[in-house]
Amino acid sequence: MTSPAIHISDLHKSYEDTVALKGVNLTIQDGEFYGLLGPNGAGKTTTIHILTGLVLKNSGVTEIYGKDTVKDFRFTRSQIGIAHQELPIDWFFPIEKLLYFHAGYYGISKHKAKPRVEELLERLGLKDKRTSRLRQLSGGMKRRYQLAKSLVHDPKIIILDEPTAGVDVELRHELWDYLRELHKNGKTILLTTHYIEEAELLCERVGIIDRGQIIKEGSPKDLTKELGKAGINIHMTGWCEELNKALSSFSFTYDDNRLHVTVKEPEADMAKIIQILSHHHCHILNVSVEKSSLEDVFLHLTGKGIN
Amino acid sequence: MTGTNWIGLYTLTQREVGRFFTVYRQTVLPGLISSALYILIFGFTLEKRISEIDGVPYTLFILPGLIMMNTLTNASSNTSSSMLQMKLLQQLPDILTAPLSSLEICLAYIIGGTVRGVVNGILVMLLGVLLIDMPIEQPLATIGFIFLVSWSFASMGLLLGQLADTWDQLAMMQNFFLTPLSFLGGIFYSISMLPDWAQKLSLANPIYYMINGIRYTILGVYDSPPWHSAIMAILMTILFTVAAILVMKSGKKIKQ
Repeated sequence: MTSPAIHISDLHKSYEDTVALKGVNLTIQDGEFYGLLGPNGAGKTTTIHILTGLVLKNSGVTEIYGKDTVKDFRFTRSQIGIAHQELPIDWFFPIEKLLYFHAGYYGISKHKAKPRVEELLERLGLKDKRTSRLRQLSGGMKRRYQLAKSLVHDPKIIILDEPTAGVDVELRHELWDYLRELHKNGKTILLTTHYIEEAELLCERVGIIDRGQIIKEGSPKDLTKELGKAGINIHMTGWCEELNKALSSFSFTYDDNRLHVTVKEPEADMAKIIQILSHHHCHILNVSVEKSSLEDVFLHLTGKGIN
Repeated sequence: MTGTNWIGLYTLTQREVGRFFTVYRQTVLPGLISSALYILIFGFTLEKRISEIDGVPYTLFILPGLIMMNTLTNASSNTSSSMLQMKLLQQLPDILTAPLSSLEICLAYIIGGTVRGVVNGILVMLLGVLLIDMPIEQPLATIGFIFLVSWSFASMGLLLGQLADTWDQLAMMQNFFLTPLSFLGGIFYSISMLPDWAQKLSLANPIYYMINGIRYTILGVYDSPPWHSAIMAILMTILFTVAAILVMKSGKKIKQ
């Protein structure tokens, strides 16, 4: 059996008086698209910084393809490309040169890096800006550069710390398309984000981290099914007492001609409910569905919003 | 990747060297201009009052000190400012997350600082040759000594850059320690001209040995035996290089 792309076990980290991680356990398989969701200060960035060598752990196991991130740092770091949340500033060199430097840090000569740098400049719309300094770029362009930099050594694992923070909707969708493409091409992606929609749309699996621990993991679909609060609202007339019995298998409320049924899967249960109402000669005026979202799950588990 | 990351080391060194060359107006020219001013103002005006020290014309006598002052301030400020700048501008994570060892990172920074120190030292030396026809008794030893001192102070700068949190702290080191110690290290005088207690105090100033050493290789005159200077330069090089590497390895003030 091959080792997982990322394996974290019982990871602990404290900053002076603050406990940042209290035994994080996380395994991400090769080729998986994983989202780490959590409110500010939950431990997302600390976790990924320990994986990449920016933060020193107190205890626990952190492995990349079965190799320890401290002992075998050359191997593990060369497998990872990280796009940090903070945008860097460089006054001295044009971005093309910075990409060559970055490839060089990973042991790739300028000659070998050239096709990759050209491809990334083209693909991320930075070709016209190749001679610009970072300070001359807009926030969106800096995000593109940040992503290009994380990919320049063609890593197997891409770690993106809030990759679309502060970018406009158009660019966000553009970046999402590119991330999907990278995933399709076999890259393992670990994403931290404040945008729950982003995780729902892109990730195969998400982990919800709060107060230094991963408190729930699963696919967005399974999590919303298990912990979400979907419902069907029916505006109707003709309510009768028999309906209390007929709908007893559901959790529902009826008030002022409005029936609200709490269900896990609205699409599956809607036909059944409508059939019961029709059978009892009710007149349905309007039906609306309240879809459960990962946000509900997040609220349910952490008791607070992600932002 | 298992062994030494040579390409990484070369790239980071290239970046460090390229960084100061791109802003040569801030990193190379000021040293030359201030040295020329020292020669013209201090040298030619004071030469009327102090014609010779140890048998050497005064303007010639101060030149090795000026070379050394330029060398060590440039070498140390290159590494310290580059490291602090990378910390403050969020560039350091790029280096720390790359497959580069602490030793490789330190070497790249130190080589960058050493190159700047050597370039500045040699340029001031050439200025002396051009302006006042300065003779150089032992050219190879002079360059070797400039190299050693550059390495030593580049390591010291790296150490300071790693430990500093603000520009203010760095400026304090420069203004309250390096510059006063350079001036008190005998750039403009021989310590034999000082009272006994001041001579003894000068012997505790490491920069005095650097100036004494280079003055010997260029002019053949010295206050303390030249081997004292060589030993001090070697000791400082080892001490600061090891300290910079150990601090980098520990992650102090760099990794959380």
